Order: sequence, then C-alpha cells, then structure tokens
Amino acid sequence: MKRNLKKLLTAALAGMMTAVFSMNLMVSAEEHYDVYNYDRWNEAIPSQAGYLASRSVSGLDLGIGNFSGPSDIFRDAHDQFFIVDTGNNRIVVTNSDLTEVVMVMDEFYYEDGSVTTLKDPEGVYVSPESELVYIADYNNSRVLVCDYDGNVTLEITKPDSELFSQELTFLPQRVLADKAGNVYIVLGNITTGAAMFNSEGEFQGYYGANTVEQTSEVIANYFWKMISTDEMRSKTSRSVPTGITSFDLDDEGFIYTCTQSTSQKTDTIKKLNPAGKNLFSGLETAWGDFESIYDVNTSKNYQSMICDIEIADDGNINCLDLTSGRVFQYDKEGNLLFIFGSSSDQLGGFTEVAAIESIGSEVYVVDTRKNYVTVFEETDFGSIVHEATNLYNAGYYEEALDPWYEVLQYDGNYRRAFLGISAALLVEGDYEGSMKYAKLADSPYRYNRAFEGWRTEFLSAHLTEIVVIVVVLAAAGTVLYFYLKKRKKSAGKEA
Amino acid sequence: MMDLNNRQWVKHAVTHPFEGFEDMRWKKAGSIPYAIVIILLWFVASIFYNRLYGFQFYAEADKMFNIIPYIVQTIVLFLTWVIGNWAVCTLLDGEGTMKNIFVYSAYALIPYVASIYLDVFMSHFLIRDEYIFIEAVRYIGIGWSIVLVFSAIKSVHQYSFLKTLGAIVLTIAAMLIILFLLVLLLSLIQQVYVFVYSIYTEIAYRLKV
Repeated sequence: MKRNLKKLLTAALAGMMTAVFSMNLMVSAEEHYDVYNYDRWNEAIPSQAGYLASRSVSGLDLGIGNFSGPSDIFRDAHDQFFIVDTGNNRIVVTNSDLTEVVMVMDEFYYEDGSVTTLKDPEGVYVSPESELVYIADYNNSRVLVCDYDGNVTLEITKPDSELFSQELTFLPQRVLADKAGNVYIVLGNITTGAAMFNSEGEFQGYYGANTVEQTSEVIANYFWKMISTDEMRSKTSRSVPTGITSFDLDDEGFIYTCTQSTSQKTDTIKKLNPAGKNLFSGLETAWGDFESIYDVNTSKNYQSMICDIEIADDGNINCLDLTSGRVFQYDKEGNLLFIFGSSSDQLGGFTEVAAIESIGSEVYVVDTRKNYVTVFEETDFGSIVHEATNLYNAGYYEEALDPWYEVLQYDGNYRRAFLGISAALLVEGDYEGSMKYAKLADSPYRYNRAFEGWRTEFLSAHLTEIVVIVVVLAAAGTVLYFYLKKRKKSAGKEA
Repeated sequence: MMDLNNRQWVKHAVTHPFEGFEDMRWKKAGSIPYAIVIILLWFVASIFYNRLYGFQFYAEADKMFNIIPYIVQTIVLFLTWVIGNWAVCTLLDGEGTMKNIFVYSAYALIPYVASIYLDVFMSHFLIRDEYIFIEAVRYIGIGWSIVLVFSAIKSVHQYSFLKTLGAIVLTIAAMLIILFLLVLLLSLIQQVYVFVYSIYTEIAYRLKV
C-alpha cells in the first residue's frame, strides 16, 4: 500500500515536472549544430544541450582595441579574467562579467625602475595564495612573475643545468604554480614533460612526461634495434612521446595535463599526483570524439586534439578540442557529461580555439583567429545534470535520485541517469526498481548487486515455502521412482 | 545382451566413455534423427547462451542479433568436422562410414550441450561471486565431451590410441582447409556475379543507345 502511494506520488510529480519543464525544453532546443552525446556503444546519439552560447566578447566590445590572436584566459581568485592578447603583447584584465576592463598589463617594472615589455606572451597564471601573476613570455624566452601592479619579482629564463639541453631555445607556452610556489612551465620544444622550478626560480627537473604509446610500430622498432648494429641504429627514428600541451590545477593540488596530438591515443588527458603518477591511467574514457572525421579534400583522418584543459569549481573537467572546436565536459571521474560548440561562423562556433576557462555556470572559450571570447551558459538541463552528478560523485545517491528523474524528463537516453537511479534505489532497498534501472542502463555490474539483494530478500521471505516445495518434490520423486520400478518389474515378469 | 532402444543407447554411450561406442558399433546402433536433434539442440543452446543468460553475467550486450554466426559456430562447424574426419580417415584405413561418424560425434557432444543449458539455467539464480559454479559445470561438460569424442572416433574407425590422436589433429587441419576453400569459393562466386552483372548493364546501355 505504502509503495503504491509512493509510486502514485512519483507519477504525479513527474507529470507536474513535465508540464513545468516542457516550456523550457522548447526554448533550449535551438542551437545551430546537432547536439549529441555518446551512448553505451560509443555511438553518437542526439541529446539535450547542456550549454548554450549566449554572447561573444571582442576587444572592441571592451573598448581596448581588437584582440590579436589571444591564446590564453585565466580566472583569478577575485573572479577577474586575465586574457593573454598575444599579438598586442599585453595581458587584459577584465571584471567577472567580461564587460569592463579592469586594467591592461603591458609594461612591467624591475626593482631598479627599468621597464620591460612582453613579446608574444602565450600563457598566464595567477596564484591564489601569493597573488602573483605568472606570464609565459614566449618570444622573450622567459617567464615573468610579477604582482598585480606589474612589479617584477622573479624572472625565469633558460636554466643553466645539465638536465636542460643547452641547444634548445626556452619557449614557454603555459605556466602554472602550485601552493608551494613551485612553477611548472610547458615548453614548446620539450617532450619530457613540464619544466619545474622552485619558488626561487631554480630548475628542479621535469614533471609529468607522457609515455610512448605501445603501438605495433614501436614494438617492431624495438625488435629491430635489438638486432641491428650501432650504425644502423643511429639512422632509425627514435620513439618519442608527444609533449604536453596545456595543464590546469584543481583545488586539491592535482595537476591535469592534456596533450594535443594527431596520432597519440594514450595519455591525452592525465591527472597527476605530486609524485607525477597518472591517476587516470586506469580509466577507459576515450577523451574527445570516438571516431575520427575523414576529410575528403585532404584525404586525412582528423581525430580529436585536446588543446586546453580546465578544471571547473565543482571538479568537472572541460576539454577543448582543436579539431572540431567542441568542448567535451567530463565529471571528475571521467564520465562524459556534455559536448558543445562547433566549428562554424555562427555564435558558438569557432575557427581555431585556443583556451578555455569557467566560472560557476559559465564557460569561456577563446578563439585565436576570430579574436574573441565566447561565453557559454548552462541550460536548465545542464544545471540539473551537474547537480545530480555532483551529488552522485560525492556519494549522496539517495539525494541524487530526484535530480536524476528530472534528467530523464529532458533526455531519456542519458545513461548516467539510469545508473544513478539504480544506485539510489539499491541504497533505499528497492531491489526490483534497482534491477529495472540497471537493465535500462545496460549495466550488468549494477544489476548483479541489485539482484544479490533481491535474491537474499526473496530467500529469507520465502524460506518456508521453498523448503516445503523441495521436500514435497523429493518425496514425490522417490515414491514415483519406486512405483515405476515396481511396475516395470511386474511387467517384466508378466512378459 | 544389450538389447537397448534408441533412448537407452544414448544413455549408455554417454555414461560409458570407454566401451559405450564400441558396444554401439558392435550392435550397429545409433539413430540419425537423434543425432540431428542433438545438433539442433546445440544450435539452440548457443543462442540461449548469448541471449537468455542471466543479465548480471553479460560481459557486453551487443546491439544487433545475427543468426548466421550461431549457425556457423554450431551446425556448419559440426558438418565440417564430420566431412573432414571422414575424408582423413578414409585415407587412414578408418572403418567408419559418414553416417557413423555423424551419429557418434553427435552423441559425444551431449554432455557439452547439456552443460550449456545447465549454465544458462543456473545463471539466473547465481551472482557474480558464485560464477565458479557455472565455470565448473562448463569445464566438466567440455572435458566429458572431449573424452567422448575421442572415444567415438577411436571406436568408429577401430584405431589405436595414438592413431586416434593423429587422426583428430589431421581432421582439424582438414577442417581449416575446407573452411578456407569455402571462403574462397564464396568470394569467387561474388566476383563472377559482379562480372556477369557488369556485362548485363553494358549490354543494356548499348541496346538503349
């Protein structure tokens, strides 16, 4: 009776929700590209939009002249945006709405009063602890560390170390500083990871190098090198991993790196602990699109190339795909949440994406060719999915139940919702419901757990009946067996 | 002695791995309809195994159902085995006829087919932790069937132990050759078809113009 009442209530609630949200659904369905997501079989299926492009901001809008090839955007602890305006050799700092310019950093002052300027800066980072601005000054071959007023406190240049090959130019592209003040620098021509400096600017070594993917070619090369002479060996090409492209730091101090590569499929996204170990190495997530796009004009396959990564406040991972101009948003466990953006001329489309940043429910993407920043806003669907995912990942399965039901109102193909409901119902002890949703989610693992509970419950509830049935059947079988044997014997005698 | 009906012969062959088939040969027993039924049951079992298994054990549910692989994996495989074995053993002084090879081999598969049905049945009551029971049943079924197949080939051709072993290895090789030729034949037929079709279209165009 109680369960029926609950079902009835849920149904009524669901009906009301549909009525309320059907209006929003109609509004949020308009986007100039087909919004999709991946299903259980890794095939693209239509989905609801989690983010919509709301506006784009150019340098002209901000009243400081057009951007020229902006290549990075960063949000500091005061929610101000630092936009690296590469071609104009300046850092533009705006307010949190991206409507007004707070300041433009183009001149920096040494202690002795002399002035220095930037030359094609590519990356910026602002430390929330020390309030210092780190600028990767690409063509000046240095990383500038200064305060908000532009007073240089440290300048990191090419290290005079054996570990650093002196033939190479120092070309910093991205920069990051952890809580201890260690500075990590992505260098354009280094494949052994990010160069790591301590807070004094002394070179410490490399951090987070990618491993070489074990393709058949690499293994074959390894074999040939074993049996070839030194002379032959010197002529073969070396197997070198792709260098990391960009990185970001989350609240717990983990560094996430991304690698933009046309061929490499492993290590494209890594979550590194302080020891440099990849915590995502066990994930089966294929970051970016599953299938490469075949271009007839160049007769080449284009696979996703993640050129920037950003960790949102709630731990979600935003990955920016250079190939398709799409943003792939994953939760902190690496489950795909949304795909948005495209390569086109309309709002929400890009020519060449460069960097991504987020604040609350908004995502900002910098296009280096179009010279503006596009602002994406979370839809109702997006916010409800985020709410449910965050609750779920934090272990609040039951609290996530209602948001998950709501998610299904928007998109009945959203597999994570079925998984979430199955987990929540299992916690609540509704094994049959949990089994049902596990089946809908096509998850044998979840089904197994629900089934185990259901079986235990069933056995303890019906133990007497089962025992009685087994005993009766056994008795009947024995009687029948002896009866038949006896009859056979007597029939044999007669014959 | 040994005046058994067909059903009793099945039981006798399966439960007497060492002399069951010898007895069958001696009494010229074994029924083709029974053998056909066994092979059809195997075919159905292979579909059950993939479709009606307990959901908690599914490794990966596939999106599409295609019956052709199931036919190939059971019926075609079995027929290839029979033909291959007959072809090899005719050359190796085997005494078995095609009919006997067919019937005895089919009888020998009974434990394996039965274990599949039992597995499918059990999979609806067990959880993943108890998978070992399902595995045990399957291995017992497979092992039993291997012994029976060996015994069947040995008695149907009146071979020694080592000769049976060699015959089985050669049979497997023969099966591979047969399957290879089948694939070759299919692709050749397809090419001939394409050739004829393109001639037809060519003529059709010329007639029109």
